[in-house]
Amino acid sequence: MPTITIDGQTIEAPAGAMLLPVALENGIHVPHYCWHPKLSIDGSCRMCQVEVEGSPKLVIACNTPIRDGMVVRTKTPAVENTRRGVMELLLVNHPLDCPICDKAGECLLQDYAFAYGSRRARTREPRRKLEKRKDIGPRMILDQERCILCRRCVRFTREITKTNELGVFNMGDHSTLDILEDKPLANDYSICTADVCPVGALESKDFHHKLRVWFLKKTESVCPSCSNGCNITVHHYRDRLWRMMPRRNDAVNDTWMCDHGRLTYQHVNSSDRLRRPLRRRNGQLEACEWDEVLTIAAGTLRQAARDAGGHGIAAVASPHLTNEENFRFAQLLRNLGVGNMDVAVVSGKSDDLLVKAEKAANARGARDMGLVGGGGLPAIIEAAAKGEVRVLYVCGPDLWETSDRQQLDKAIERVECLIVQDIVRSPLAERAHIVLPSLTFAEKSGTFTNVTGRVQRLHQAIDPPEGQVSDGEIFSRLLAQLTEGLPSFVPAAVLEEIAQAVPAYAGLTVDRVGPFGWQLPDAKAQPAPAGATA
Amino acid sequence: MATRTIAVSRPRPMPRGGTLGTWLFGARALLKGLVITNRHFLRNLWGFIRRKPTVFTVQYPEHRFPFPNAFRGMPVLVQMDNGKERCVACGLCEWACPTDCITIYPAETEDEIERHPDVFNINMSRCMFCGLCEEACPEEAIVMSHNVEIGAFSRRATLWHKEDLLVPVSQLAPRLQHIRRGYDR
Repeated sequence: MPTITIDGQTIEAPAGAMLLPVALENGIHVPHYCWHPKLSIDGSCRMCQVEVEGSPKLVIACNTPIRDGMVVRTKTPAVENTRRGVMELLLVNHPLDCPICDKAGECLLQDYAFAYGSRRARTREPRRKLEKRKDIGPRMILDQERCILCRRCVRFTREITKTNELGVFNMGDHSTLDILEDKPLANDYSICTADVCPVGALESKDFHHKLRVWFLKKTESVCPSCSNGCNITVHHYRDRLWRMMPRRNDAVNDTWMCDHGRLTYQHVNSSDRLRRPLRRRNGQLEACEWDEVLTIAAGTLRQAARDAGGHGIAAVASPHLTNEENFRFAQLLRNLGVGNMDVAVVSGKSDDLLVKAEKAANARGARDMGLVGGGGLPAIIEAAAKGEVRVLYVCGPDLWETSDRQQLDKAIERVECLIVQDIVRSPLAERAHIVLPSLTFAEKSGTFTNVTGRVQRLHQAIDPPEGQVSDGEIFSRLLAQLTEGLPSFVPAAVLEEIAQAVPAYAGLTVDRVGPFGWQLPDAKAQPAPAGATA
Repeated sequence: MATRTIAVSRPRPMPRGGTLGTWLFGARALLKGLVITNRHFLRNLWGFIRRKPTVFTVQYPEHRFPFPNAFRGMPVLVQMDNGKERCVACGLCEWACPTDCITIYPAETEDEIERHPDVFNINMSRCMFCGLCEEACPEEAIVMSHNVEIGAFSRRATLWHKEDLLVPVSQLAPRLQHIRRGYDR
């Protein structure tokens, strides 16, 4: 491996690597705009110029391969002078929009202007007038004046989505970022262009003029919208979610995420959320206390198990709950002797990049926790329609979405007690006897297992309202009514239980999962059962 | 551990017990106070006789002191001549506020200035008139006024909304000139 010296620090790097990523990986910050780890090299911004011994001029670090014995300096007066010059040229036409720009606070141009720029502008000429607030697609707007022509977004649409919507038109100082008239930026990953944009030229309509970014608190999490399990950062403030941003994980999603996933956070903030348990009394659903409703639910389950054995109860597990919660649910069902259970998952379109067909984050995890048994979903509904099932316990909204309505109607009519656990008063919840409020991915900690068998952690971002308990706690309290000596629900402790009880998850620890997930050892050996997706 | 002794000058302690010293101490303090009272009384009396009274009391609220431009009363929003607020809801005052009394919800408008505050609330029961919002504002949109009479009978009434906070720019001209000089703009 070649050995190079950057600012007196000796670094070994693989042959053929470029100077800029090598410097960044070793903690030497070289400012740059157009270079992006997942895009091709453009070399248009000229910000990453450094001094290489033996070279007559400064070279751009992003496009200079390293060679053995190379001596690089990044902090000499010549380099600093050049950076100041580059900054001045970039700022010549950049509007002073910072107070109203969504990017302000996380803008590279702002950061580098503070760090490397000069304090005063020397130009007297008016700034370039171009189109502002241009509607370029269903989810994006473009401000051409703010663009510094780094072409990251152009390369993104060319190389990642391969849709080629964006381009730089005209030449020289007439260069303008734009779209073709008849081809809006409408691909499924369009908001990623706002992420790669180092300034506020491309902005997502969803976050446009919503909140200044410095108010946002950030929590590492996993996207809940499909079984790919893209790593994300949840941005929250005042106990609500404001946006979700992709987090780099080369094993799962690189640095991207799809627009659909990014915009699924709205259900967390919804004012329709169920916050208190409901119970049917005189034909009406009424709010009631947690202890009361859990005692009734546990009593009903116990009675049904005693009278009709395990066949008296059927359960539909939710692929939106964490492994820990579903593990407790499986324990509860095992305790009652239930054999008829399955995971309902909504299925939709998929693509080659990230989007997977199963529209839930933890379908695989729910199956791994042992929530599959009997004849699957059709058999459950059929048995219920025949009147063989006395208590039907449904978690999540997916059963309503996936099954045949007529058959389901018949099943609901015949069931003595329908327990529904959901985040809103769904159509199914309206017909239930007991409704338990569920929590979303942002309000709890735990792990999800994605479609390839990678266990990934999500962290609690916002607090649920006072008194509302998590799904895991609901299962734990129900189980505590049936057995003795069960501890309360602590996700990290349940994770250890999973590692001991589920063979496929042996060796699982919180440390191993870490921020980027842990691949199950025999991941390939357990494909998803075909009947599980409707 | 090495210690260091420092001699501190303290006032003479009051003598204890019902001794002659106690009586003298008390009488001296009493006389001192009476001298001050009488000095003011006689000075005012002398002024009263000469028909030039030296009265320091202002008959508030009928009479008031004029406040200097450097005075900081409650913060208000500058209203432009077209009736709209100058504020672009950038949130810097919200960030600068040490008591977190400002709440802003931005929104988009069709005007040339594309952003404005949809909601701009100041909780005046928390505001301490420190003026950091004024200093942070890049648009000279929030300035400290001379209004300090903002008492209210309910907590709800101490929450000021955007409509209540707007003051025409003409009324704020002296203060705007003052901050431009003060902050070297």
